[in-house]
Amino acid sequence: MKNTFSTSFFTIAVMAIFTTFISCDKDDAPQKVVVLETKTVSNLPAPQTGGQGQPEGGPFTKFSFSQNAVVTNDVWDIAFRGTKIIVNGGSLIGLKEEPSRKGVAAVSIVTGSLSSITAIPAANTFIQDGDKTYSFPTSGINSWYDYNATSHIISAKAGKVYVVKTHDGKYAKFEILSYYKDAPTSPDGTSISRFYTFKFVYQNNSSISF
Amino acid sequence: MFLNRILKIGFPLLSLACYSQGQQSIDSLKQEHLDEVVVTATRTKRLIATLPLPTHVISAATIEKAGVTRLDEILAQQTGLHLTSDFGGVEGLQMQGLDAAYILILMDGVPLVGRSAGTFDLSRISVGNIDRIEIVKGASSSLYGSEALAGVINIITKKPTRNNASGNGSFRYASWNTNDVNLNFNWKKEKISATLFTNYFSSNGYDLDPNTELKTVEPYQNTTIQPRVFWDFSKNVKFTFGTRFYNQLQEYKTIINAINYAGNATILEWDLHSKLEQKWGSNVQVDYELYATNYKNNSFLNSPENILFEQNYYNQWLYRPEIRALFNWKKNKIIAGAGFNHESLDRTYFATKVAVQSQYVFSQLDFNPTEKVNFLLGIRYDNNSQFASQWSPKFAVNYKVNPSLSFKTSIGYGFKAPDFRQLYFDFTNSSVGYTVLGYNVAESQLNVLEKQGQLLNRIPGISFENPLEPESSVNLNLGSFYQKEKLKVETNFFYNSISNLIDTRVAAQKNNGQNVFSYFNVDQIFTYGLEFNSTHKYSKQFNVSFGYQYLIAKDESVIKAVEKGTVYARDPVTLESFQIKKADYFGLFNRSKNTANLKFYYAVPKLKTDFNLQVFYKSKYGLWDSNNNQVLDKYDDFVNAFTTINISASKKMLQKFTLQAGVNNLFDFTNPQEISTLSGRLFFTRLQFNF
Repeated sequence: MKNTFSTSFFTIAVMAIFTTFISCDKDDAPQKVVVLETKTVSNLPAPQTGGQGQPEGGPFTKFSFSQNAVVTNDVWDIAFRGTKIIVNGGSLIGLKEEPSRKGVAAVSIVTGSLSSITAIPAANTFIQDGDKTYSFPTSGINSWYDYNATSHIISAKAGKVYVVKTHDGKYAKFEILSYYKDAPTSPDGTSISRFYTFKFVYQNNSSISF
Repeated sequence: MFLNRILKIGFPLLSLACYSQGQQSIDSLKQEHLDEVVVTATRTKRLIATLPLPTHVISAATIEKAGVTRLDEILAQQTGLHLTSDFGGVEGLQMQGLDAAYILILMDGVPLVGRSAGTFDLSRISVGNIDRIEIVKGASSSLYGSEALAGVINIITKKPTRNNASGNGSFRYASWNTNDVNLNFNWKKEKISATLFTNYFSSNGYDLDPNTELKTVEPYQNTTIQPRVFWDFSKNVKFTFGTRFYNQLQEYKTIINAINYAGNATILEWDLHSKLEQKWGSNVQVDYELYATNYKNNSFLNSPENILFEQNYYNQWLYRPEIRALFNWKKNKIIAGAGFNHESLDRTYFATKVAVQSQYVFSQLDFNPTEKVNFLLGIRYDNNSQFASQWSPKFAVNYKVNPSLSFKTSIGYGFKAPDFRQLYFDFTNSSVGYTVLGYNVAESQLNVLEKQGQLLNRIPGISFENPLEPESSVNLNLGSFYQKEKLKVETNFFYNSISNLIDTRVAAQKNNGQNVFSYFNVDQIFTYGLEFNSTHKYSKQFNVSFGYQYLIAKDESVIKAVEKGTVYARDPVTLESFQIKKADYFGLFNRSKNTANLKFYYAVPKLKTDFNLQVFYKSKYGLWDSNNNQVLDKYDDFVNAFTTINISASKKMLQKFTLQAGVNNLFDFTNPQEISTLSGRLFFTRLQFNF
């Protein structure tokens, strides 16, 4: 017997398995006296025009870790539009309505839980945006999400922590929890997308650990 | 009489007892049980008890008792065979934990074609003219080449055995207006015989969720016509000629962006199979076989304004001449064969029609050094222009400890060639914008996309220089066969290690934010487990059989990643990530660790009536990842364990009639969200007339 499916959507397992990766979770960082606060950002809107085969557009939502707020000036660290994330460092990727980079921001992607990542990764693992190159890869094992072609759900990969060098050379680490409004445990077709929920820790001083 | 004939041909290995045919036939069965013969395992007639390979037979009587009409239904009732939903909603068979794409399906020894993303839809085959189904588990590429990686299923159709005309007709009506009509005509006059089988099947489909506009399964109907002629020119020369037509029509509906599209899907299948068997003296036989088959499907969808919205077609051809020689030498047999495949496919999303030629030779030694020991030694060479040529060896031993007990072991190589889709696909999803390219056309198509300015970048390190490798396996079986008086027990431990599994990976990124995928040899998996079957005949009237399979199936790279500590899962409450431990990894999706069946048969000879009760159990399995690591771990959502029960009774009437009635899925177990292929309670009644 055949089930009726909308076969026009060719199903593809977009992602597979985490393989080799820089492992940092075994480092025993010296305990800091100062306990840094873990903050949660909920429902950060990241609207986008186009997509679905059409050119993507619309302004990026710029975020500053030190202010824990959306900003409109040049002191942003990372910015969101749909599933794309950019950093305030490097050069233009070549996207529509892309903000120019005025800072020194970069990102290093590590595997672990947010609390287990305590050391700042090696300097050469930090990546900036560049011509046709995303610091946050949009596919492959280092993209921040998996796409389920059957349910069309975007899910943030578990165990990915992004250590960000901020626009002014400080450090923050963050983990994306959800891409859907109010971060439902099991998003479905009715969930509203392009709303980020993430946790982050901001290191105010020039320490080499969190 | 017709039923008598079935019983004489062979008796079920797994089943509990015979069809109620009165006292006389039950008695005549006693001896046949031990003498059961199969041909699939060695391509020669072999007794199942002393065969060194894990082999099962489903007889016509077992099929009739089960009250089912399509091949998928009867196979799913066997230990170690499971139906799972594959891509596109087609149900595929799983064997030794391996998917449908790795199981070769034969009819009278020649392969059936027409797969959807590797899955053969077994419901295309009517069981109405099946004499027996032979199932050989484990890699069998040494005899059959590509696809015979998990095993082989060979459908053997009925032949006229007695002089004059005979036949039978049956009508089965079941829930959802499901009609199944069979007509079998047999005719034999000395050296010439002929058979004509026709089947008509129709169903309204079913709907597990009335709130949605589409039905779970839309209405469909199909027809099978299969005439065959057998002509014994002389004692030494025999000729067989047969053909088969199959036609299916199903309503095809879908909703895209709240717009209803409707159309239909048709399948047209045809084959031609001829064989000449020639004996040269008493020790040599040569078979010349010619097989051609064509599988076509077409589907379309119209918009509400009746404008063509989508159209798909698929047209596959296979021609295969093969020659085999069998030499008998004392108690030993040598079989040698050679053949040629010409296969072509023209379908939607292929730039052009694709054709491939391949050649093969195989040989097998069936050697009995002593009364107690039997060796099988086989090897096959496949030469193909599309991928590296393959040597497929196999070695098996049976040791007969005493007349009741045998131990057997086999080790073999299996492979599955990359299919046409994996090599030649050229598909771009019009609504989302991603592209999938077959491996052989990927480089040139990427260049085209690049020229058109559609590519953002290519993934570094990806090259299409070396050909895509066949998926291959090493298979090991270790089993025993025990049969004494009323008890029969079979066990088999199996292990499969599969390399070079083909999966899609991103090959390039497009400017529209989507990806270009292609097929690559990426994964390595293994499966192992234990299969157990027992039948106890308490009396002529009462039998019980029990079957069980334990299965572990895992991905090597996941195990390595978990050991490295790089696999995390998302906590459903805090949404934070936590590390997965080795013991948390459950294994591959769609596989239950424990599956079992329990079958009771009870006959009341006075009433010429028999009763069947069948219980099927499946432990929990994972359908998809629910905690964002693409890995099935113990924190994921699982499909709960479930049990289904079938009951039926059949009664012999007026010598020539048999009336059967029953209920499948008695307690109406359904799981619309997770198991859309389970239809719910089905009532059926069936009347058969023999002449």
